[in-house]
Amino acid sequence: MSFLTILAEVVAVVAAMVALAAVGIVGADRLRRLRRTARLRLRAVAPQLAVLAVVLLVNSAIRDVVPEFSWIIGWNITGYIFALEGTFVAFVQSFASPPLTAYFSFVYVYGYVFLLVFPLLAYAALDDARPLRELVIAYSLNYGLGLLCYVLFIAYGPRNLLSDLVESLLYTTYPRYQLLTSRVNTNTNVFPSLHTSLSITVAMLAWLSRDQYPKWTAIATFGALSVVIATMYLGIHWATDVLAGLLLSAASVALARRWVGDGSWRS
Amino acid sequence: MSSTDGRSELRGTRRAVLASVAAASAAGTSGCVKRLRNVVGREPSRQISLEIKTVPADSDPYASRIARHLAENLETAGVAARVVPVEVEELYRQVLINQQFDLYVGQYPEARHLDPDSLYGLLHSRFSSESGWQNPFGYTNLTVDELLEEQRTTAGKARREAAAELQRTVAQTVPFLTVAFPDVLCAVRTDRFTKWRTFGPNSAVGLLSLERLPGADFSSDFASDGAELRLATTDPRITENRNPIAAEFRRLGTFIDLLYDSLCRRYSGTVNPWLAETVTWATDGRAPTVNVRLRDGLSWHDGTPLTADDVAFTYAFLADTTLGADEGSIPAPRFRGRVSLVDNVSVTDDRTVRIRFLPGSEAVADRALTIPLLPEHVWSEKTGKASIAGIEVNGETTEALIWNNPNPVGSGPFRFERSKPDESLVLSLFDDHFLVRDRGGEDPTGLPARPAFDRLRVQVVSSDVSAVELVSNDDADATISNLSAETVPRIARSPDLDLIAHRSQSFYHVGFNARQAPLSNPRFRHTVARLVDKSFLVRDVFGWYAAPAASPLAETRWLPEDLAWAGADPVTPFLGEAGEVSPERARSAFREAGYQYSENGKLLTR
Repeated sequence: MSFLTILAEVVAVVAAMVALAAVGIVGADRLRRLRRTARLRLRAVAPQLAVLAVVLLVNSAIRDVVPEFSWIIGWNITGYIFALEGTFVAFVQSFASPPLTAYFSFVYVYGYVFLLVFPLLAYAALDDARPLRELVIAYSLNYGLGLLCYVLFIAYGPRNLLSDLVESLLYTTYPRYQLLTSRVNTNTNVFPSLHTSLSITVAMLAWLSRDQYPKWTAIATFGALSVVIATMYLGIHWATDVLAGLLLSAASVALARRWVGDGSWRS
Repeated sequence: MSSTDGRSELRGTRRAVLASVAAASAAGTSGCVKRLRNVVGREPSRQISLEIKTVPADSDPYASRIARHLAENLETAGVAARVVPVEVEELYRQVLINQQFDLYVGQYPEARHLDPDSLYGLLHSRFSSESGWQNPFGYTNLTVDELLEEQRTTAGKARREAAAELQRTVAQTVPFLTVAFPDVLCAVRTDRFTKWRTFGPNSAVGLLSLERLPGADFSSDFASDGAELRLATTDPRITENRNPIAAEFRRLGTFIDLLYDSLCRRYSGTVNPWLAETVTWATDGRAPTVNVRLRDGLSWHDGTPLTADDVAFTYAFLADTTLGADEGSIPAPRFRGRVSLVDNVSVTDDRTVRIRFLPGSEAVADRALTIPLLPEHVWSEKTGKASIAGIEVNGETTEALIWNNPNPVGSGPFRFERSKPDESLVLSLFDDHFLVRDRGGEDPTGLPARPAFDRLRVQVVSSDVSAVELVSNDDADATISNLSAETVPRIARSPDLDLIAHRSQSFYHVGFNARQAPLSNPRFRHTVARLVDKSFLVRDVFGWYAAPAASPLAETRWLPEDLAWAGADPVTPFLGEAGEVSPERARSAFREAGYQYSENGKLLTR
């Protein structure tokens, strides 16, 4: 199975999930209004989207160079992380069972992408432009600060250090996903966990928009917690990475809320 | 690096002493100040702390397990030990080039034909200040130096005895600890190529001796009727750097051996003429000499004719990559031991060279004939000091050592076509190579007259499981990097896959940096060696796909009987049971070696 096949599969599954959630959570009325005003609303958040686009472009342009640079100036903290938290991830994995592995693998690959994509649509359908602006800026901050950490810190995940205690559950159960993840990340970039920080960012903003989307708040909270557990359960991240991810998401949300003032859809 | 726990303690002591003395010194007796200096001038001892560097489990499933095993047992013995996973290229840069390590876990860079003389480059003290695979441990032992010279200059029984004594001394003083000889596991597809087992896929000769399966369909490989061999590896280095002498980028040199030819190649137990048509030995006093006549019409991949001058250049260049332009010499970080056998090389005519060796035996000298030949017209421009954007940045290295060699010009049966860093490498058959050109007639190499494949594609994956997945999905024909024993059931379950286990001489070892205390002390290294349970590792980590060993020559006929493995290590037996070190036995062993413990069981620097 090639990289493109897997990518197509992920896109198809996530698209189906988003469509389902759009009908169930956003509702037909809001979706119709969104269709009429889409162009206007897109223009209104153009500056924030531009920031995100720049961050993502820079990220993909220098992704290959970051590890090289990191080995020159970065600090290898893998041993310190292990000294700090010991075999906690092995403890998490002691609860492993095939159904749980299937669930957390699904959450890590598909659920995570869904969590990130759906609120873009849901917030675009709101009368208030503020949540969407905050979301886009918070994403940019997560990526930008995360990338900075990846340059400064070299850290391998628990499966790479404690291979006797921690199994690489995602890749041993579904090897094909490694073809996907190895294209978007290198194995020295685990501190902080961007899976954690982005999911928690989504959950925090979902809590702030609970009056508009109470169902989404529940789903996002449950989904984000699942992603957080999945990162450790699958042996990909340390608990330390998760904690750092939490801090990163808190900082990103706080800064995003500070910077975004205007809630109107005019540009 | 050794950390400085206890510095704060030191400051604490100093402060306390200063305070009390400040009060007392009002009385101002000089005897008291003297006493103060005696106390404060002494550095208190602190806990020994060691770092074990190795590659992450993704790139080698075994090395990190060995490192963790040792780290845990060191902790039990009272040493603060930490495993530091490092990317493979970076690991060998830190270990071989910069000598920034306490301990490392790695593999010996050759998979076959180890010889007592292989230890010459690895251990001779004359190389301890050079960088590369020549004495990376900074080990200096005059007895070993003498034995290394002796095995080089003697033959028969005398050489056998020197080699045995050499192995005993090395096992006692442990510049590095031989852990085990792995069976290299490979998953191969059997529906396109055969003869995987002749030499195993992990060597150039092995790949060249593959044959097409009769009736197999290769039509999807190319527009024309060629066949493509597809290999999967977790080692990305060949996709970034193709410099045959860059030690930190080479593993076993399988692909380099396809790109670069040598005068002779060693396989099937003998040294066989390769680019050489004839090899004629003679003796000049006690020094062996050899006349090598090259095959007719050899050329480099860029079309330049390959002549005897290139051969002479290669030996001179590897011995000193500055070619004498500078006062000090900068030898190549690979092939050092073998090149040091050569005294001088003279060109007789375009196709003939005469190589004069240092006094010794032919059996040792012929090792020097297997180094890759480099084109003079390419590498003679790389003798300058290393620079970035024209600025000389490092006076201790030449351009030749840091050059990535993106478009390698060799003379091997395959030429470079393209590569994508961290993703893939493509080589294609070199039509002018003698294996291809002389098709038909009886070939002296004994290999198939023409390689079974026209193109070689190497794909980089992120772990051994992914490599097996690629082969089982028919996206690759074989895996070429180390597979862990855990992948065996996966291979066995797949109907199209075959599992090949091929004993490799590329032994796993723990290297010690003998340049700094406490690892400079052979007694300390000897005791650390006794914290590694090789039998346990072979059973639990290698899943029996390895053999424990007490000597780097254990898989050769040079192993003396008293160093043979007999259930336990004959020289450095494990201080415990079933992988668990006994704290009492470890402590008494370190005490016997002259070390002390603190009250809370920490091993102290002195």
